[in-house]
Amino acid sequence: MSTEVKVGFVPLTDSAPLVVAEKLGYFEKLGLRVSLYPQNSWATLRDKLQMGALDAAQLLAPMPIASSLGLGGAKVQMKVPLILSQNGNAITISNALFDEVLDSNGLLELPFPLPAKCIANVVAKRARQGLPKLKFATVFPYSCHHYQLNDWLNQADLSGKVDVITIPPSAMTDCLSSGLIDGFCVGGPWNAKSVRDNDGVTVLTSYHIWQDQTEKVLAVTKQFFEQEKATLIKLSAGLLGACSWLQSQANRFEAARWLAQSTYLNEPLDVIAPSLLGSCITKYDSAPEQMPQYNRFFGSEPSSVNKPSLQNQEWLIRKMREAKQIPEDEIAMSDVFDKRYFEETVMLFQGSFTSLKN
Amino acid sequence: MSTASSNHNDTLSILLIDDNESRASALVDALAHSRYRIKHIASSGASLLKQVDELKPDMVVIDIESPDRDILDSLHTLSSFNPKPIVMFSEQEDSETITRTVHSGVSAYVCGNADPTRVRAILDAALARFEDYQSVKQELASTKHQLMAKEQIDKAKRLLMKSRNMNEDDAFHALRKMAMDTGQKMEDVALTLISVLNTIK
Repeated sequence: MSTEVKVGFVPLTDSAPLVVAEKLGYFEKLGLRVSLYPQNSWATLRDKLQMGALDAAQLLAPMPIASSLGLGGAKVQMKVPLILSQNGNAITISNALFDEVLDSNGLLELPFPLPAKCIANVVAKRARQGLPKLKFATVFPYSCHHYQLNDWLNQADLSGKVDVITIPPSAMTDCLSSGLIDGFCVGGPWNAKSVRDNDGVTVLTSYHIWQDQTEKVLAVTKQFFEQEKATLIKLSAGLLGACSWLQSQANRFEAARWLAQSTYLNEPLDVIAPSLLGSCITKYDSAPEQMPQYNRFFGSEPSSVNKPSLQNQEWLIRKMREAKQIPEDEIAMSDVFDKRYFEETVMLFQGSFTSLKN
Repeated sequence: MSTASSNHNDTLSILLIDDNESRASALVDALAHSRYRIKHIASSGASLLKQVDELKPDMVVIDIESPDRDILDSLHTLSSFNPKPIVMFSEQEDSETITRTVHSGVSAYVCGNADPTRVRAILDAALARFEDYQSVKQELASTKHQLMAKEQIDKAKRLLMKSRNMNEDDAFHALRKMAMDTGQKMEDVALTLISVLNTIK
């Protein structure tokens, strides 16, 4: 068997494809020895990938673009050979803010999804009373979460009127319950955890803001992409196999059980399973909302979700521009989302996994 | 060199973020009787922002594996935050590679699993490199600024020469006199003049 391929990730519900591929032995089946390295922070994951301490990583979709432009760290050209998921994030507010929103809007219950204008009334009231600005958190400056929160707040012209800070996913729920922040935009299982612990209320999902846009990607350095084609295609095919396996509801429950283990999320099943099963729990002891597309890993065919394209890249660059992270006059960049290996990846995937009925 | 080098004999406060108690106390011991004063905290989530604000540390030392790393990185995107040297350490075997790569980056330096006797030297080096980097950055910004100022002044001069039939020397002197009379910088006077002359035209 070949040398070990080190793959880093930040444990989240949508890390499911990595965990599933490992548990089902998909990498071994393709003759690949893969080790998964969970990381505590996105910046450290990026640095380790840039410097070669890791061979590949599951990254937030905007991160490989930011790295290729040298934003927020060293400038290292990255490639995305495979998209791993769409959707999966949500915005949760503290119980205190929930009460404030009800009060400022004269409501007895909140609509789901919550329009940002309901928050605008709180912002205006706080400004009148000389109270501090609302503080929201996202997981990383170069994340879909950040742009989704921006887009939602901008629906009510709230840009700049609410403070937005960065907190790593796993620290989010504690920061909400201790009152350090009033709300957050994060991926699973952290929204559900705040709801189960009765610390917050999930008011809308990222699917209500953007439908079926790229969320997590497989990323490698350009150097690795060019030098390790065969390895990368095997790695991608194994992960594509796992994405396809996650089509079935029954399989998704098993994936939730694996994710619950201490080596990954170390959180209870009732926090991890709902979003994978298409359920958004919104408020403690209330009925959940049906969200069939909450975590999307695979479409009607391999190319519909998982194929990297310049359209994905352009969409993300537009969002980065709107967030003023990329100057308007920045020159065009080379292909970060690179489809050159995708066809061979799909062929290997179809030859190896489609006959399996796990 | 830069202003911060004048601090070399003063004490420097360090905020140390490390969840490993024994490693942290070893570092505190190693830096006893040095110019570094350490305040140690464990990874603390959003309250890190408050701590940095209150302590105003001269330097931050953080375990590369700490979840607080992302919070620290995002501080640099806040305009209110003055850049600080950040030293990251890692116990991974391949920290030598990390060291080399991160050196080429911005304000981050990894000291690996250094023995206590080397720690002081590493912090000194990180601080010096950070000051160098900051002064290069400032120099670049001020060169850029000077170039832009010169461009504005030249443009205003040309406009004066054309609209008032002045020669180059007279135009320059007129600009300088306006600057002295109003107590403004020449480039600011040039900017005002350009906008006025363009409106009249």
